[in-house]
Amino acid sequence: MFFRLLYQSFRRQQRRKLLSGIAVTLGVAVATAMIAVGVDVGDKINRELRAYGANIVVYPEDAALQVRIGDQEVKPASVGTHLKESELPRIKGIFWGHNILAFAPFLETQVQGPSGSIRVLGTYFDKQLRFGTEGFSTGVKQLYPWWKVQGTWPSDTGRDVLIGSQLASRVGKHIGEAIELSDSSARIAGILNTGGTEDNAVIAPLPLVQQWAHAPDAVDKIYVSALTKPEDAFARRDPDRMITADRDRWYCSPYANSIAYQLREVFPGARAEQIRQAAQNEGTVLSHISGMMLLIAVASLIAAALAVSAAMATTILERRQEVGLMKSLGATTSTIASLFVCEATLLALGAGILGFVLGDLIAQRIGQAVFHSGVSITPVLLPMVMLLALLVTIGGSAAAIRRALKLDPVLVLRGNA
Amino acid sequence: MSVRASMFFHVLKRGLLGRGNRPLIAFIALSVAATMITAMLSLYYGLENKLNRDFRSYGANITIAAPDGQQLPSDAITRARSTLGPDAIIAPFAFAIAHTSNDRNDQAVVVAGTDLEQVRRLNAWWSISKWPNADDEALAGARAESHLQLNQAIFNLHFAGHALQLKDAGTLRTGSDEENRVYVPLTTFERWTGIGPSLLEISAPGSHEQITTTVSQLQASFPGMQVRPVRQLLQAQGGVVSRMRSVMLASTLLIALTVALCVFSTLTSSVLERRRDFAVMKAIGSSQVTVNALFAGEALTIALCAGVVGYVVGSAVAVWISQANFHAVVTPQLSVLPLVILADVVLALVAATVPLARLQRIEPAGILKGE
Repeated sequence: MFFRLLYQSFRRQQRRKLLSGIAVTLGVAVATAMIAVGVDVGDKINRELRAYGANIVVYPEDAALQVRIGDQEVKPASVGTHLKESELPRIKGIFWGHNILAFAPFLETQVQGPSGSIRVLGTYFDKQLRFGTEGFSTGVKQLYPWWKVQGTWPSDTGRDVLIGSQLASRVGKHIGEAIELSDSSARIAGILNTGGTEDNAVIAPLPLVQQWAHAPDAVDKIYVSALTKPEDAFARRDPDRMITADRDRWYCSPYANSIAYQLREVFPGARAEQIRQAAQNEGTVLSHISGMMLLIAVASLIAAALAVSAAMATTILERRQEVGLMKSLGATTSTIASLFVCEATLLALGAGILGFVLGDLIAQRIGQAVFHSGVSITPVLLPMVMLLALLVTIGGSAAAIRRALKLDPVLVLRGNA
Repeated sequence: MSVRASMFFHVLKRGLLGRGNRPLIAFIALSVAATMITAMLSLYYGLENKLNRDFRSYGANITIAAPDGQQLPSDAITRARSTLGPDAIIAPFAFAIAHTSNDRNDQAVVVAGTDLEQVRRLNAWWSISKWPNADDEALAGARAESHLQLNQAIFNLHFAGHALQLKDAGTLRTGSDEENRVYVPLTTFERWTGIGPSLLEISAPGSHEQITTTVSQLQASFPGMQVRPVRQLLQAQGGVVSRMRSVMLASTLLIALTVALCVFSTLTSSVLERRRDFAVMKAIGSSQVTVNALFAGEALTIALCAGVVGYVVGSAVAVWISQANFHAVVTPQLSVLPLVILADVVLALVAATVPLARLQRIEPAGILKGE
């Protein structure tokens, strides 16, 4: 009898069930979408902030003191020691190798140009490298997305170079022309505009500069862009003075400090340091945005809970006559209550799954529209959201059920209540 | 006032005040809607300012540099200040290459003269053991300090035959080129070398677009100087702010939709439950228009009150959130108020229209009989 009542309730009252079903579906969809976006937005913005460039720099321990004002190098930087270019792919081999988004080595030298000494930087533009079986490409193109190149990017092997915009106008060179550098000829593939000191230099493929500087396999500095976690008090502690458990936790957290520490391990004799301007401020922006999205996710949960319980309460209160009839026919309070609870549960489960799928779609749409990449949704979210849907649906009905049960059947059936 | 009109208002008043908790439920639902919408919109408007402010902590977003080997005009700071207004931070820098007095190890080092007060505000991310506060105290970059073996002691620097005695006050750590330099107060520097500032680092307030406009204004007032935006910063700022704007807009819409749904189902049922009132009114001869106006008037009154209450509560929520998250007070946005009230009124009217249209098709006699 109970199941027949349940079945008929769904079969005969399709409009009402549809309304509460829609409410639950939408509520769950909004909650799912907001939680998914809220959890993922930190990661997305983190990548967006990496447009700022490198946040870690690696250089030899005993590098010479740099003496430069603006574009004028007073002492050649080549006095100090160098890092080895052949060791570069090791960067990908550190514990947090997957968090390394891009890196670029730099070797700087002065060469004789058409009108005096010219500052030349050797680097990777978009270099294909291999670490183990994994191939990847890296270079200034990924590291510094704000570098604007008129013309084309040079290849990493040829004799094509980029010339800084200020230098180009000073020496009167244009795209496609040849430029005499260090008694050999190079072709200008493009004109570079960065708004920084590179505007007054020539950017050339690393092997070419190594040849000019008579320093095979050498690099001065490596700039690394890594996805990091905002720094906290724990991140600032010295790992060498920690107990083992703390040290492991520190080592396995993607702080800028711990990634720098791991880089020091793969480049013996090198210093690796966070570039504080990038690393510190990124943390502020990130934590503000994540905090904000968390609060919004909570707000959307509250809104969804309100919507669902309002809809449930409404449909149950509309069915007072039914309750009155059942009571007058001898149904106990608990039978009627369990009937309503069962209905709510079925609704919550059915509409909840539908809502979860819909919420997924909404989250993906937001991700695609705003960040041009999908939003990753953890499977843990499904049971969480379903449990929530159940709680809210049953909780929202509970008060209405109690009220409907308290009414005198005689009055209800007469239509006076 | 005609009898008709006074009767209308009497019924409206009784409907609102003398009918148990039904108007109260509608009021609560609409208030919640208004609260949510106000909070989301206030945050939406406020977020951009907050994020732009966060990006100012990166340091300078505009630089003005003199051409190589030259100095900025002596009134550069006042001129920049008059273009930028009081909110901007302007730090002048003058550079010279000095040598250590120790002949055996005659090391060259870049010395920068600057307004340390402004730099402290400009680059709050500089990690510094102690800020200098006397004229003869210097801030030494970590690498300069270890190469020159300064070790918090008194040291001499030589520039063009002039010696300067300095105290090493604090160590500067930044992870980039600043670590190679020694910073001294600008007045001391000018007295020692006679070189004036050749670089202004400026942190201008505002959004990506506003800063771009500021750059062109500065370019006009500094002919011959290189006025440049710090492109890497502006690009990151523009990207993050526009992405967050879209995310906030999407969230606001989704939450508004959910809340509207809640209000809709509550109000619809509260009108439907009053079908007997509706029937009685029609039975004793009131016109369809009057009945509709009565229900609409009720919905309107509740929506207006709820809109105002929701605005106040919602603004409070927004203030609390930005206080908790950004540690900054957000001023309540008055421009949100008409929007919120409009949304509430439209919501209430739509929610009342649907059930009224349904009731109109039913005969009053049928409703009164309980069918």
